Amino acid sequence: MDIRSENVAGRRETPTYFVIIFLLLLVLMGMVLPKGARSLVTHMMIFCILAMGYDVCFGLTNQCSLGHAVFFGGGAYGVVFSILHLKVGVLPSIFFSLGAGFILAVIVGLISVRLTEAYFVIITAIFFAVFHLLAMDLTWLTGGDDGLSLKLPSVSLGSVTLSLYHPMVNYYFVLTFLAISYLILNRMARSPMGKIFVSIRENEKRVQFLGYNVFRYKLMAFIVSGVFSALSGGLYALTLRYGSADFFSFHWSIMPIVWCLIGGLGTLAGPWIGVVIMSLFQYYVSAWWTYYLILFGIIILLILRISRKGILGYVISRRLN
Amino acid sequence: MNGLIWGLIIALIALGLSLIFGVMGIVNMAHGDIYMAGAVLSFYVVGMFGNFWLSLILVPAFIILVSAPVERFVLRPYEGHHSSTMIATVGISFIIQQIALGTYGGIPKKITNPWPVSFNFLGVDYPGYRFLVACISILILLGLWLFLYKTSYGILLRASMQDREMAGAMGIDVNKVLITTFVIGSVLAAVGGVLAAPINQVFYLMGNDVILLSFIVVIIGGLGSLKGTLIAALSLCSLEGVLASVLTPIQAKAAIFVIMIMVLIRRPKGLFTE
Repeated sequence: MDIRSENVAGRRETPTYFVIIFLLLLVLMGMVLPKGARSLVTHMMIFCILAMGYDVCFGLTNQCSLGHAVFFGGGAYGVVFSILHLKVGVLPSIFFSLGAGFILAVIVGLISVRLTEAYFVIITAIFFAVFHLLAMDLTWLTGGDDGLSLKLPSVSLGSVTLSLYHPMVNYYFVLTFLAISYLILNRMARSPMGKIFVSIRENEKRVQFLGYNVFRYKLMAFIVSGVFSALSGGLYALTLRYGSADFFSFHWSIMPIVWCLIGGLGTLAGPWIGVVIMSLFQYYVSAWWTYYLILFGIIILLILRISRKGILGYVISRRLN
Repeated sequence: MNGLIWGLIIALIALGLSLIFGVMGIVNMAHGDIYMAGAVLSFYVVGMFGNFWLSLILVPAFIILVSAPVERFVLRPYEGHHSSTMIATVGISFIIQQIALGTYGGIPKKITNPWPVSFNFLGVDYPGYRFLVACISILILLGLWLFLYKTSYGILLRASMQDREMAGAMGIDVNKVLITTFVIGSVLAAVGGVLAAPINQVFYLMGNDVILLSFIVVIIGGLGSLKGTLIAALSLCSLEGVLASVLTPIQAKAAIFVIMIMVLIRRPKGLFTE
């Protein structure tokens, strides 16, 4: 147990320099990028939050959920409904999206987390499918496929008033959330609770024998993961200024898995690499070939075959040896 | 009545899913797309030869040729790791869907009813093809039962289902058993697709509905329990048929979903597992 936790701690130390470089690069890039590329990078940063949130679930506690589209869409609709119906500002609306994610994650988690692996995978997939069907069907509530568009109120920070319609403001707004989420999640992963998460991944039975309530810790990881996915969904709705049933689609369930697998499971910052690679891939290849999802499927099979550690995981394991 | 016939088709598909899970530990997300592939292929067979019944032979033959190498060379390394198999089969499902979209197109098409006879059943005209579908499905289910419980190969298969390592140690060629199981499961799904093609519209995303329903069925019946899967498929689909006459289709689906949650809370491993 001692050796293992040292090993785990070592794994955590390494990405710090990577994270700092990555975030600094993002800060600089915001100033120099042309408009189109900036919006692409903004989207990538939002996906990074989703990927990190997912990594808490899959990477740290090894719960492979297919239901994160539920939280992503829930978060997006939290923002949309609170701004449309409650007329709140932008920052409070984010709290609504976090709340929506929390409630959904508690409901889904209480039912699914205690089940065995195969049941867990299938149940979360069923949850996603049912929520997607409902969102498509309840058009009076969600706007269905067409969605509901938003008028964003401006954010006032003390004496300064900012409007999210300005792409630069939006960029740094999202970047701030990315940095904050990383700090929180990194702190959590280094805390004793994070250590227990990792030991659940490594050997669930042994953790149980040591007297920890495995169900409670897995549920906690699931909820944290759901809340950050909801944050990502809320930011995405704010950036696109609309929410539709598409936010519940399968894309948002399967992409986090791919990001995490490419970037490195359980490294929190590793999935960022996956997000960058996959977003560039989608951006360029989808313009070039309509049926690019075939390549996407092949990529999934290849990653699984080659290594489950991912890019950053590979770098770290090289450094450790 | 429609619900019961639909239930027989779903039973075919879900039994394939349950069999594949039970023997190989694969959570097969691509199962719905194999069903779709069956329907699309039968559309092509009808177009080429003008005979629907031919597709009941040709489509399974094609699926056997494709699924055996897929199992051996693509899925074999992940077997038993449920989440890995799930991710891998999602990849396969993307590939199948996009190939279907590329070749067949994104527009739903309909196959003409191959047996346009209708029976007078309790004063209501009832399409004969549906009766035929019911008969064929029951025949296939009977055949599957005979194969699994009355032949020596079925015994090997069930032995591998109970304990794969032990089966290997007893000298059973597990490699052959695994390939056979995957092929049988896929063929069941494809035949379901062929049978459903004249009833439903043939569409490249038609597998999504079916995979959802068969997963619910398999969960309620208990993963890997064949008896449970059969009973759950028939009862759930009849129930959905009854509900759909009162509620909208989506509400009926949501009701089925709520039932599944209730069952899971009471019996986390499904109704029919020991």
